[in-house]
Amino acid sequence: MFNYTFQWRQAFRALPQMLDGALVTLQIAVLSMLIGGAFAILLAVARNSQSRWLRAPATAWVEVARNTPALFQIYMAHFGLGSFGIHLSPYTSLLAGIAFNNAGYLAETFRGALRAIPATQTRAARSLGMGAAQAFRLIVAPQMLRIAFLPTTNQMVWAILMTSLGVTVGMNTDLAGVTQDLNSRSFRTFEFFALAAVIYYALAKILTVGARLLAWRMFRY
Amino acid sequence: MKAFIAAAATAAGLAAAFAPAAQADQLDDIIASGTLRCAVVLDFPPMGARDEQNNPVGFDVDYCNDLAAALGVKAEIVETPFPDRIPALVSGRADIGVASTSDTLERAKTVGFSIPYFAFKNVVLTREDAGIADFNALNGKTVGSVAGTYEAIALENDVKKWGAGSFRPYQTQADVFLALSQGQIDATVVTSTVAAATVKSGKFPGLTIKGDAPYNIDYVALIALRNEYGLLNYLDLFVNQQVRTGRYQELFEKHVGGEAPDLTIAKVYR
Repeated sequence: MFNYTFQWRQAFRALPQMLDGALVTLQIAVLSMLIGGAFAILLAVARNSQSRWLRAPATAWVEVARNTPALFQIYMAHFGLGSFGIHLSPYTSLLAGIAFNNAGYLAETFRGALRAIPATQTRAARSLGMGAAQAFRLIVAPQMLRIAFLPTTNQMVWAILMTSLGVTVGMNTDLAGVTQDLNSRSFRTFEFFALAAVIYYALAKILTVGARLLAWRMFRY
Repeated sequence: MKAFIAAAATAAGLAAAFAPAAQADQLDDIIASGTLRCAVVLDFPPMGARDEQNNPVGFDVDYCNDLAAALGVKAEIVETPFPDRIPALVSGRADIGVASTSDTLERAKTVGFSIPYFAFKNVVLTREDAGIADFNALNGKTVGSVAGTYEAIALENDVKKWGAGSFRPYQTQADVFLALSQGQIDATVVTSTVAAATVKSGKFPGLTIKGDAPYNIDYVALIALRNEYGLLNYLDLFVNQQVRTGRYQELFEKHVGGEAPDLTIAKVYR
């Protein structure tokens, strides 16, 4: 039996505060994608390399990032590093944790995309006189990004949702933090959580629709 | 036809006799079910914690057991973190909350409170090497507390008022102490009972109590669904009886030590 009377007025009054939180959420998600994406390209290249010294740490990163909970990664960034005297703020811990996770997943997405491009492409580019870096930048990378584009937007949605784990490290300015704060003051759990869920849904939806439009614009040839 | 009417009347009478009474309230339901399920926070010693065998212990656990005994039912402790107390009640996982819940007017719009069953005083807990002598020294420092608690709300308001330093809300009391011992935060404001129990436990070396926080006494009450008057009425009388019989003092001595705090305020009812 659900014994609860909803008081929506109180929740709607808190909407501006929650939308401010949503902006912080979006900011962390975007930054974590940029940082994670940059590391992911390095990791993907390292995992494809011939050198064991490059392959091993990259593999370790990907293994840990993909096979442990994001909650654990964020918690370790805050309290794990904290026990060694490295103190990250809740914001930085959350950003570091999600960027680490993103890098792991995106590295595999990029590696898969790299594998999908025939080696003959690189050889053809080199035979035209391009250097290795030039061939990667002008021939391989654009194709790789095209293949990886849609899975990457998926990861972006996941990054938005992962920000909700920040409450475990004392984050109270993002959407989940603001919601939890409002909830513990008033105990109107279900209204605030329902409203937060709608905002999360809207953020994720706007992002995926935007990505589809962008993909249609970029890749229709 | 007569026989049919007689049979129908008998059937209706039997149905009425055995059907559950439509007016039964939650108090009746608890007595009928034979179990009282209490939401208790087990991360808040000495009010609620786990012993070496992982059994729930503490003031709130004993209080729930006493209440169950008074009702003539079995007590069941439902471990509930602070933020989940209302969902636990609303979803029917627990019948009442014996969970050190501060009786704020904001929350009373949502949940039903009994008369206060315990009163907390708040103190400043810090590290010996943090150089904090008293509450005033918190101005400009990084402080933290358990999200949504009475002292967390008061402390966060103070930090905003000072306009310097920062406030971090953590999800559990253990995380606050971990953050404090690691140096992530410089101090916390916490109930005197929890502070004393933590310093005594030795789990977090270097923590020390540096005076009282200038906050009003934090009265905490038992909670139940807002519309369950029968149950709330029973809880009020139970709290009164615990004090009257000396059981409140007895439990206080067992878990905290010393003289139990006064649960009444002069010059006003309730």
